[in-house]
Amino acid sequence: MSKCKVELAYQILKELHGEVVAEIARHLMKFGPRHIKLISEVTQLRVNQIKKGICILIQHNFVKFDRNKKGVTEYAINTDAVSLQLRYPRYIYCAKTLYGDAAELLVEELLQNGQSLMSIASERVTQRLNEALEATGNPKITSSLVRDKFGLLVKTHFLRRCQTVLTDDENRVISSEEPKETESLFILPPLEAGSKRKRNPDGSGPPSKRSKMEEMDIPPDDGVYWMINVERFHQYFRDQLIINCVNSKIDKQAGEIIRNMLRLSEIKTEPHSTVSATMTITEIFHSLPKELGMTKHIVEQYLSILTEDSVDVISKVCDSSGGLYVINIFKVLKSLCQAHIESFVQERFGSKCLRIFRVLILKKHLEQKQIEEYAMIPTKEAKELLYNMFAEHFITLTEISKTVDHAPSRTYYVFRVNIDQVARIILEKCYKAAGNAIIRRQMEVAKHKRVLDKQERVDAIIASLDQAGADEAQKEEIKETITPPEKEQLERCRTTVNMLEQSEIQTDETIFIIETYLYYSLLNTPIK
Amino acid sequence: MAANVEIKQEPVEGVDLETRIINLCQQNPSGINEETIKDDMPQFDVKQRVTAINRLLSTGRLEIFKSGSKLIYRIKDGQSTNSQLKGGDNQEKLVYQIIKEAGNKGIWIRDIRYKSNLLMTQLNKILKNLESKKLIKAVKSVAASKKKVYMLYNLEPDRSVTGGAWYSDQDFESEFVEVLNQQCFKYLQQKAITAAEGKSDPVAQKNGSYASSSEIWTFISKLGISKVQLAVEDIETILDTLVYDGKVEESFLEAQSGDRKRLYRSIKPLIETTGLMRMPCGSCPVVDQCREGGVISPLTCVYMKDWLS
Ligand code: SF4
Repeated sequence: MSKCKVELAYQILKELHGEVVAEIARHLMKFGPRHIKLISEVTQLRVNQIKKGICILIQHNFVKFDRNKKGVTEYAINTDAVSLQLRYPRYIYCAKTLYGDAAELLVEELLQNGQSLMSIASERVTQRLNEALEATGNPKITSSLVRDKFGLLVKTHFLRRCQTVLTDDENRVISSEEPKETESLFILPPLEAGSKRKRNPDGSGPPSKRSKMEEMDIPPDDGVYWMINVERFHQYFRDQLIINCVNSKIDKQAGEIIRNMLRLSEIKTEPHSTVSATMTITEIFHSLPKELGMTKHIVEQYLSILTEDSVDVISKVCDSSGGLYVINIFKVLKSLCQAHIESFVQERFGSKCLRIFRVLILKKHLEQKQIEEYAMIPTKEAKELLYNMFAEHFITLTEISKTVDHAPSRTYYVFRVNIDQVARIILEKCYKAAGNAIIRRQMEVAKHKRVLDKQERVDAIIASLDQAGADEAQKEEIKETITPPEKEQLERCRTTVNMLEQSEIQTDETIFIIETYLYYSLLNTPIK
Repeated sequence: MAANVEIKQEPVEGVDLETRIINLCQQNPSGINEETIKDDMPQFDVKQRVTAINRLLSTGRLEIFKSGSKLIYRIKDGQSTNSQLKGGDNQEKLVYQIIKEAGNKGIWIRDIRYKSNLLMTQLNKILKNLESKKLIKAVKSVAASKKKVYMLYNLEPDRSVTGGAWYSDQDFESEFVEVLNQQCFKYLQQKAITAAEGKSDPVAQKNGSYASSSEIWTFISKLGISKVQLAVEDIETILDTLVYDGKVEESFLEAQSGDRKRLYRSIKPLIETTGLMRMPCGSCPVVDQCREGGVISPLTCVYMKDWLS
């Protein structure tokens, strides 16, 4: 596991769940699955603390547990899941753009709690929505509306059930696993009012939740816990990337065509396959919304442009029935990943280096002399540029000796670029950068803690005055307790924090593209 | 009167006859004989022919051979130099021959020595001699700055020696290349914009954005930014650098004659700057040493401080 990624995960957890949880997580990330005693010995934390910490981690689906051969329960952490918290704002935003405010709040609710019951989540969201609606003077909505939204999110697979738990003979939960049929992850529980069931005596649901639930009313859907389905979100992001790629490479119309092609093939395409399912030109044409006003002729033209384009977005696989097309998902991802790498090279080493870098990608392997000729860069400069990139492992050098003595004068020195390797280097830098941004942001907040606290207190007072129906003058007076220099300080702090948060999200975009590319690339490397 | 005219015209015709004989010889590199000359220009009599041939032989422009019972005349190579080489000895002739064989690629002094088996001092003297007679010249090669190569005086050095249009005195003209690179790109960009505005049909738009290399060559030549005469191939090398820059795409058009025409068009970048590079850590040179609590730390980092303020 990459060092920077562990560090990033640690920072994220520390911010959201405190030092103890982060410490336990870091320990698990470094050493792999362990049982509680061992964790406690090394981290010097009390067993009680560790238990609580692990509860939190399980609740958020970061930690899984299993009983080992000796009958001791061991805990294993999923570092990827932890670092995905960086992406939470994007999940929430995505739900909002697709399905509106209720969906946004539902996703937020589930992300905050890790897992939750449909009834409880819907109830809370209804409450929150109504509070907001009341404040703006709009009529309230019913919880069934929110529940419908929940159903929709499940139907579109953005939400899924949590893993099913396994119990031993004495009904103690020992592990959890994915159900065999993926479809069962997306079945909604019966939720008619009044159909309150008796609590299942064998109690399903994670242990952390159980004790809490016992004292409350037993909700109708007890035991069926939900979480967000990150894979579905990622698939959506991936499709969005492909569409954006076409948008900027060709134009908006072509982007629309691809959007519809993705929608068409969505269900039929195997998950993680390099190409989409096939579709005919007639299918594509009929799937396009009429408002676009594209004639079949234009669609045909766009398809031919897309097939001929250097990014290779789609391919024609067969000429029958006017042509069968597939989307080359992997190829687009590769081009995109490469574009991001190139962007990095350009910013870090300059445009001349980028030229050399691309010459190497296009021509596979070259000697320095050839590089100079292709890139039209004089020897001295080329040597320096090559060295700069070589020192950071962006290009590799292979010696091919003509003779056995490996004398330099009789040796070819061949330069190459290994895209996957470079992608990993940059990914590592991304983790580091995101971690640094978090550290810096926390420091900025801590530095201005006094003023921020003051601002909070003032806000609270004003809110209570509002409720008491105080007049403007009184409020104004309270507001003025924050002095102008303090205001300025607050303003500066706010922009700083904003900038840093922005970079965290932007860096995560780079992370997402590179991770997705590497994932596909790994899946599709033939095993030697 | 007629005789008078003839006398006056003779020298003119004599010269004329000589050039015509040379021409004839050039057409028949294997040689000509009396008969051929007679058939070709019956207007001259034997005497005129003999004087002309004699003069050509004596100036060393023709060689004479015997084939069977007939005499054959043939052009003598390196006619003019031969006379200048006359004063020189065999060694000089040998060196000259070696250099001549090397053609316009030239030959390095060490290789001449190997081939001629002469001593260095001797060779140097001969080379100096030949140079002063303007028979050969020394050219500095771009491949290795200290290396001089020799070639015949009247030859245009090969591109591999001079480096082509991109070199002046062995120095690579980076700036010139960059200027051309930018100009070509501007041209293609403009072309793409015009195409996008002018046509609604996507295929026509795409096709309209292409420009052939000769088209761009004409544009660059008209700009007059180049002191040297550039060839279409030179422009193609420049356009290739744009392809490597990722700003331009290349495509080929199969002409009817079978040869390929190279087409270029500017392309839009796939993405803006990647997210990572929009904060200082992306391009940070000391990122590997940076950690919380270290000498270089995100808490005290100057790059961050500058960027945030
Ligand atoms: S925090 Fe500063 S020193 Fe550290 S990696 Fe970022 S820019 Fe570099």
